[in-house]
Amino acid sequence: MKIPKDEILKPNHLACPGCGAALAMRLALKALGRKTVIVIPACCWTVINGPWGKNYAGVPVFHTAFETTAAVAAGIKASLEMQGKDDITVVGWAGDGGTFDIGLQALSGAAERNDDIIYVCYDNEAYMNTGIQRSSATPIGAETTTTPAPMLKNRPKKDLMELVAAHSVPYIASATVAYPVDLIKKFEKAKSKKGFKLIHILTPCPPGHKFPEDKTIEISKLAVETGIFPLYEIEDGRYKLNKKPKFTGIEEYLKLQGRFRNISEKEMEVIKENIKERWRRLEIKFEYFN
Amino acid sequence: MKSLVLGGNDAVAYAVKQSYVDVVSAYPITPQTSIVEKIASFIAAGEINTRFIRVESEHSAMAAAMGASAAGSRVFTATSSQGLLLMHEVLHWAAGAGLPIVMANANRAVAPPWSIWAEQTDSLSQRDTGWIQLYASNSQEVYDLVFISFKLAEEVKNPVMICLDSFLLTHTKEPVAVFEGEIDGFIKEKKWKALLDVDNPEAFGALAFPKDYMPIKIQQFERMKKATAVFEKIANEFKNFSNRQHSVIEEYGDENAEVVLITMGSLAETSQLAIDKLKEEGIKAKLVKIKMFRPFPKDELKESLKNAKNVIVFDRNVSMGKGGIVKDELVGALGLSNCIGIVCGLGGYDVDEDDLVKATKDVLSGKIKEDTFLWGEK
Ligand SMILES: Cc1ncc(C[n+]2csc(CCOP(=O)(O)OP(=O)(O)O)c2C)c(N)n1
Ligand code: SF4
Repeated sequence: MKIPKDEILKPNHLACPGCGAALAMRLALKALGRKTVIVIPACCWTVINGPWGKNYAGVPVFHTAFETTAAVAAGIKASLEMQGKDDITVVGWAGDGGTFDIGLQALSGAAERNDDIIYVCYDNEAYMNTGIQRSSATPIGAETTTTPAPMLKNRPKKDLMELVAAHSVPYIASATVAYPVDLIKKFEKAKSKKGFKLIHILTPCPPGHKFPEDKTIEISKLAVETGIFPLYEIEDGRYKLNKKPKFTGIEEYLKLQGRFRNISEKEMEVIKENIKERWRRLEIKFEYFN
Repeated sequence: MKSLVLGGNDAVAYAVKQSYVDVVSAYPITPQTSIVEKIASFIAAGEINTRFIRVESEHSAMAAAMGASAAGSRVFTATSSQGLLLMHEVLHWAAGAGLPIVMANANRAVAPPWSIWAEQTDSLSQRDTGWIQLYASNSQEVYDLVFISFKLAEEVKNPVMICLDSFLLTHTKEPVAVFEGEIDGFIKEKKWKALLDVDNPEAFGALAFPKDYMPIKIQQFERMKKATAVFEKIANEFKNFSNRQHSVIEEYGDENAEVVLITMGSLAETSQLAIDKLKEEGIKAKLVKIKMFRPFPKDELKESLKNAKNVIVFDRNVSMGKGGIVKDELVGALGLSNCIGIVCGLGGYDVDEDDLVKATKDVLSGKIKEDTFLWGEK
């Protein structure tokens, strides 16, 4: 597969060096093309897209309130459909906080109605825009400014994919910036399908996860290889694994990121146990719901 | 034109049906619900070409309305009380984005304690969200204001809220003159086009630094201020189709009145009866009904009150620790020293013309010297 050459995202965007969320947008836009409208709630992307008068995304952007992404996107789509403009893709582009937490109700509403939008959660596993506070996407053992050591995040990450799957929508996929071809394919598939689509992208964040800015790809790759971030699709209820993990390198993954520097032996065991347990359940789905 | 017997909610739904609305997005709440139920039934019967987004909350109702409007549609929604309060944040967003959304709000008291009856504290708590606010006094006004509001919203590029008192107006049936096509010339053409355009990709609502934020807000302020004059212009155009005149403030009674009663909403109808009774008793009184509360019609009120010796504001709303909100606004705008505020009818508490007559006489005789509540065993 050829990666589309058109660079829609402008290079002068305002992301930190090494930002996974900026790279995710660059790749996503390659697949989506210029006939796309994006809704952005409060999150790092509010800043990345440029201040008043700028628009680095290169497609129309509607900035909106933190918790409204899915509803605004649904409204835009309904309006375009009423005007017969059926060739425009409407995308909600929100962080993990705006998706897993405050925006969950609107997300669930749009999913249940099967509104014809692509909802993208770029997941940097914390509220980065407000300075690294825990979200319900923050993994166990991570240090944030609201879970400072030794009071580390002590609950597992919410399972967004399964939560949305419970709404019986046509397409759900996870992706990460370490696998650009896979990511682009998923956006192309999402674009070609009618109804509600969710793409959950792991986007490492150098200042938030505390790693050097040239390690973004390495870390997102490790997240998949360790089994921490499974790459899979749920298409019309059918589960498909895209990349089989090696289930090794968990310690390395954690060690590369300063946010995990304070985990104890016991927490390490819990993390490993959680990965196993998640995969036990997933594999049943890959086997029986394929 | 034909005459139908309609409650305020029916009148809204009928007017929306005739207003070429593309998208409706709404969530049920008493006593607004029958507005959107009726609209849904028009859609189901194929009588109108409108898309209904059945959202999961009022917060999303306004968010979806905002998206649809930004994408170029004519958009309507309706709510009341707790629903309006839940929308609060998004009301600011919609107004800040300059989107011509029209919303009907059934003025209902706010909990606790639970109440479903009339009070305007819900919408008056939203007075600083940047929405144009209109208050109707009867079903005919409700019906007419829907048409005027769409034109106004599109011309000023600002959302409009039409307020109608819970049950007193939403569910009380009265004859309403409705159009049969002749209104097309007034309402069919949309003066609104999409902000979101893939051929001209701009961003809306981005982060503004202080040097930009302030001028943007001043622009919004100026845009909104224009609404008073634009309303009058559009209302005059509307008169051509209906022979009915609407104005930002409206008077009833004796032009040279020594006492002026001021109110909004259904209480204005009751006040007219009170004016007639006062006249019978030899008291020269007039009513000034405020139809447009935002932008506040300061100049019009100043002119109307220039000879008034006594001004009494009857507020069916309250700002805790302060008093009636309209009274406060009026005194703030005109610096009146001869104005008494009377808070009445909260949570649907019954107010009739005799209550208003008595209160007026008590003010004139000096028995009521300062702002107060009007209530007692009924
Ligand atoms: C109603 C509301 N509450 C809180 C905020 C403050 N706020 C802005 S962005 C943000 C965090 C965003 O986190 P996330 O969605 O994970 O995106 P990220 O910044 O990590 O990219 C918060 C809490 C807000 N804008 N609105
Ligand atoms: S804080 Fe993280 S997510 Fe936000 S712009 Fe910087 S690198 Fe990207």
